[in-house]
Amino acid sequence: MENASGLQRQLARMKKDLFDQGYLDEQFDQLEELQDESSPNFVEEVVTLFFRDSSRLMANIDDALQQCPRDFHRLDNFLHRLKGSASSIGAAKMKNECTSFREFCSEGNLDGCLRSFQKVKNDHTILRQKLENYLQLLRQVGPVDKASRSGS
Amino acid sequence: MSVGSSYASSKLESDRVPDKFPVGMKILLVDDDPICLAVVQRMLLNCQYDVTTCSEATRALSLLRENKGAFDLIISDVHMPDMDGFRLLELVGLEMDLPVIMMSGDTRFNVVMKGVSHGACDFLTKPVRMEELQNIWQHVVRRKWLDSKEIERSGSVEEADRGRQVTDDSEYASTVNDGIDCSWKYQRKKRDAKEEDDNELDNIDPSSSKKPRVVWSVELHQQFVNAVNQLGIDKAVPKRILELMNVPGLTRENVASHLQKFRLYLKRLSGVAQHHTGLNSPLYGASSNAKVGQLGRFDFQALAVSGQISPETLAALQDELLGHPPCNLAMPTIDQQVLQQASVQRNNSVTFERGIAFGQPLLKGQAVSSFPVWPANDLGALGSASNLGGLNTSQNSNMLMTMLQQPQPQTVPSESNHAINVQRSCLVAPAKSSNKFQVQGNPMHINQDSTIISSQSSANFQPGNAVVPVIQDSAVVTSNSSTSLKTGNNLFVTNHRSTILPSQSLTGISLGTDSGLLNQGSIIVPSQPLNSSQAGSNSILSSQNSMLVPSHLSGSLRTDKNIIPITHNSSLNNSSSLVNYNRLPTQSNVMPSSMKQVLDNLAAVDSFSVPVSMNSQVLSSTGSSTSWQLHSPDISISHPNGTHSLVPSSCNIEATDRLLVKLPDKGLGKNLGFVGKGTCLPSRFAVDDIESPTNDLTNSSAYTGDDGYLQNQDIFGISGTLQSGHCATTSFK
Repeated sequence: MENASGLQRQLARMKKDLFDQGYLDEQFDQLEELQDESSPNFVEEVVTLFFRDSSRLMANIDDALQQCPRDFHRLDNFLHRLKGSASSIGAAKMKNECTSFREFCSEGNLDGCLRSFQKVKNDHTILRQKLENYLQLLRQVGPVDKASRSGS
Repeated sequence: MSVGSSYASSKLESDRVPDKFPVGMKILLVDDDPICLAVVQRMLLNCQYDVTTCSEATRALSLLRENKGAFDLIISDVHMPDMDGFRLLELVGLEMDLPVIMMSGDTRFNVVMKGVSHGACDFLTKPVRMEELQNIWQHVVRRKWLDSKEIERSGSVEEADRGRQVTDDSEYASTVNDGIDCSWKYQRKKRDAKEEDDNELDNIDPSSSKKPRVVWSVELHQQFVNAVNQLGIDKAVPKRILELMNVPGLTRENVASHLQKFRLYLKRLSGVAQHHTGLNSPLYGASSNAKVGQLGRFDFQALAVSGQISPETLAALQDELLGHPPCNLAMPTIDQQVLQQASVQRNNSVTFERGIAFGQPLLKGQAVSSFPVWPANDLGALGSASNLGGLNTSQNSNMLMTMLQQPQPQTVPSESNHAINVQRSCLVAPAKSSNKFQVQGNPMHINQDSTIISSQSSANFQPGNAVVPVIQDSAVVTSNSSTSLKTGNNLFVTNHRSTILPSQSLTGISLGTDSGLLNQGSIIVPSQPLNSSQAGSNSILSSQNSMLVPSHLSGSLRTDKNIIPITHNSSLNNSSSLVNYNRLPTQSNVMPSSMKQVLDNLAAVDSFSVPVSMNSQVLSSTGSSTSWQLHSPDISISHPNGTHSLVPSSCNIEATDRLLVKLPDKGLGKNLGFVGKGTCLPSRFAVDDIESPTNDLTNSSAYTGDDGYLQNQDIFGISGTLQSGHCATTSFK
């Protein structure tokens, strides 16, 4: 079925791009491994959950950055959570940027924090968009062999 | 599958297929991060385990308490908002005796070490991968197996008692990593106890384990602790404990296994502080204000102090000591009432005893029956055996030592004549802004296998008169801006195999009159702005196999007359002298004004001949790295047998901000002059090393900073901030 295999190739390519560009890492593969008959929409569910939860966290971080005086400790707690979530789904860029953010935090470097946070937000937005596309394609392709799906 | 389910009930027991273990193994998964929770849950389900998820530790705890036997294994995150994962870990271990696996994205050494010391059977790094979860069933099996082994072993009353005594003691003495090394533990059991057959292995299905699970409720544990206290921790055998407890339905085996865990817990307490960088110095001072400052949450529970010496006041403990994440170490807190009501015959003492109150953050106003007090040494038998029976309330109290991250200063002013007794394996950690922990009157201080950590603004550890603070096998760590370790009159601060680390703004170790700072096998490392170690008249600063390392700003170790700074096999870095001796008597009334005199006098005392010629100024501070140098090019001390000689020509001791104390062996003669055997810095060496004076210091290895840890948790409760450089490598032979 040309269409299906074309879609699959497209899917594989998309995923490879995401990996190559550093947005995702091997943890994402683990998510896909977990999707099977008993949990056919696992990846989509987790990704959705992630963006929902991380948006909330980032709003909190935003608030914390605006407060005066800045509570870096509280900020660090949020970041720790955000980083944990990001790493759980394989959101590599976000995870790494969170690490930098935390360093600035521990130094009390507000400027660094703000810059870093901006990057985190950007990564977040881009990743969201890309994963939405990916998942959409994934739904179209439908339940496929894991072997053929894993393209990267 | 619902990804974000917060509480999915597990299958019924009957649905499980027993002979297909580990299929259906019941796991409780606790994590506040819903994504991680979902992912790990999915992974566990794919491993065919039964998974119950919980996003709150408190909820998880109540689940566990309500459904005894509902779970085989717990997997918990470290950082959780409502309760620290380590705390949960501890409680589970004590109350339910279930294996707990910790998870965290933070895999720094000290974090993982903390997991170990709190009893975790494994530590997973986030993000967790599937393959890591596949074999976690082994932890369940291992625990069941060991438990049933213990039951079997304890079946024979007398022999098992003996056996266990030996086993427990030897485990106690030599366990390095608190009992998490199950296989090692098992091997010891096998060796010490009767040889068991291999039947247990056939029965690997935990559901068909014959051992009835006893849940150690708070009350039950209190009874247990009381019984142990009554008997004395060393003499507490399960049979006697069981008799004292007098709980129907409780079996000796239950008590035995609980006792073992208890001991491990206590041991861990003494070692917890090692990982923390915070340093507090309990200072002994001859202050007249008995004021006990307490910080954070800890209740000092008055314990009867029976024996000679009782621990002195404890300065505030530093939360920082707990490092990140918040330490789950329970801290005893002194209840004001307790202290005020403490009026024991002669001494009022508040004793910290090892113990934990399970499930209750703080137990206030409860007196714990005393442990036998170990006479620190013969020197300081000043206090009398004081039984703090009159201390408040009943004898049913556990010392819950909970040291949480956020310090909330609670000052507990104590009347005079309050003594703080820190028993073994206690961690007394007054939090930050505690002012003072001053005990007056006839306080005694015993601190065995425990850690006294006074936090930053801790002022003083000042025993009043006739106080004998004894610190054995423990670490007394006072934090910054701690004032001093002052001993008032008639005081003996005996520091057996322990470390007193007054931190930076430590004023000084000043001994009042007739006081002695006997520092056996220990290290006193006053950090930077240490003023001086001043010994008043008739005071003896004797350090056997120990190291007294004042930092660079230290003024001097001034010895007035009748003062002998005697350092046996130790390095005494101060401006006045650096002496190393072998086996000098600890007490002598030599009055040296110069080192030479000291040595002469000492030589006369023992058969140890010490020809020494030494410049007086042996210690000078240099540089910004707070190092000091010992210049004593002419020193040579030789043992009559000629086996030991010390030629400290120059020795650099550096104490950085993090209390890195390096002892370069430059200029040392054949023998290690500066660091005595088994002393040196709290580096990685086991208890045995310290106890044996002939131990080679090469066992010690250097460590520093966050990555340091003390292998011998019984001895030093110092965080990894002491670096033993050359010290570690020089051999003292």
